[in-house]
Amino acid sequence: MAQLTKRGVIAAVVCSDSFMKLGSAQAKVFGVPDLPLLKIPHPLGGLSLDKVRERAETALPQLIETIKAARNTQA
Amino acid sequence: MSALTPLLKAPGALIECDDDPEAVFELLCAKGWSDGLPVIPPTPERVERMLAFCDRDFDQPVARIPPRYGAATPIRVAANAVMAGCKPEYFPLVLLALEALAEEQYNLYGTQATTHPCTPFLIFNGPAAQEAGLNSGHNAMGNYFRANAAIGRAVRLALVNIGAAIPGTGDMATAGTPAKFTFCVAENEARNPWEPLHVELGFPREASTVTVVAAEGPHNINDHESLTAEGILTMVAGTMTITGSNNAYYAGQPVLAFGPEHAATVAGGGMSKADVKRWLFEHATLPLARFSKETIERRFRRKLAGQYADAPLDAPVRMVSRPEDLIVIVTGGAGKHSQYVPTFGNTRAATRALKRADGALAKSIQELRRG
Repeated sequence: MAQLTKRGVIAAVVCSDSFMKLGSAQAKVFGVPDLPLLKIPHPLGGLSLDKVRERAETALPQLIETIKAARNTQA
Repeated sequence: MSALTPLLKAPGALIECDDDPEAVFELLCAKGWSDGLPVIPPTPERVERMLAFCDRDFDQPVARIPPRYGAATPIRVAANAVMAGCKPEYFPLVLLALEALAEEQYNLYGTQATTHPCTPFLIFNGPAAQEAGLNSGHNAMGNYFRANAAIGRAVRLALVNIGAAIPGTGDMATAGTPAKFTFCVAENEARNPWEPLHVELGFPREASTVTVVAAEGPHNINDHESLTAEGILTMVAGTMTITGSNNAYYAGQPVLAFGPEHAATVAGGGMSKADVKRWLFEHATLPLARFSKETIERRFRRKLAGQYADAPLDAPVRMVSRPEDLIVIVTGGAGKHSQYVPTFGNTRAATRALKRADGALAKSIQELRRG
């Protein structure tokens, strides 16, 4: 994702809340401190399909906002 | 002027503190530069003495340690080796282990950051292990021996202090393992009825090597009754077969560390190491039915569909993907016990030989003494 961001592609990482610190630390390490992290409740593993859909519903509006913000910046 | 003087002018290289072990320990814990146990204060004088056995440039990284991708320069590694209680003669083995861990196949990023409780298991072979005093006899995986304790601890401290494997931010292990303090052995080559690990891997016998494995803690295999190779291996296979192991789902290279007495019984039955691996590949299996219904449906039927989409419930699930993936060593003293060491899944072991700066194999640690 860091490489995609550097190439100008709009990119984001879906990250469960327990992993947000690791995600933001890694974004800094890879030189993209503003890489959007789409926060979902932990866990992601071991979920029923209904719960996976709930996670997607949490992530989707954040993804749309990320795309809008990136387009505004580019424009 | 000391060789360290210019390097110590770098921002943050030096911190002032009361000259008192408790004050130093308090400071290091407060900074998060610790494994929670007391350390030897890494003063410039001690770090310089540690570097007496380093024939590299002190500020040139031998590795980058994730997740921070911090530069593992000899001077930084030496500070961690001092803290861990290393003798200067141990230092080349600490650097060697870090170089091996940085090999791509080991997957240091994944093994540092995972929720799985893996840690580097360091297996030393060749003359340098004996020279350093690494224990390969009684309690080889346990406490008491300075080289085993300090070399493994120095590597762990470097992973935390240089690589930022901080629990909860860079090291996401759910519960971790006590092996994260140190997990470092030498192979008991004198009591090994087969070729030692480094020779099996193609290194000359006189080479000194480290093999690094992303391991869980060891599990004991008690067998006081079996008199035959098949008997011992039946007990080994029983210990290897666990549903909660990454090795049931992924590749990985688990380690079977025979105690010398078990090894003698197995070799006495005419089995080579390759025979042992083949036998355990075939017999260390669990029927699919032993896993939970959800695990069968979600992991085996879907994620591993190529193998298990339509497999019957008595289909064997193997603990090693290929016979050669099982690493077999001999370590420990007298007694009817061996050890099984499961691993992380997405990882391969890496082996490196101790070399001088000019690239020639080092026949002795003394060849690496500076000047």
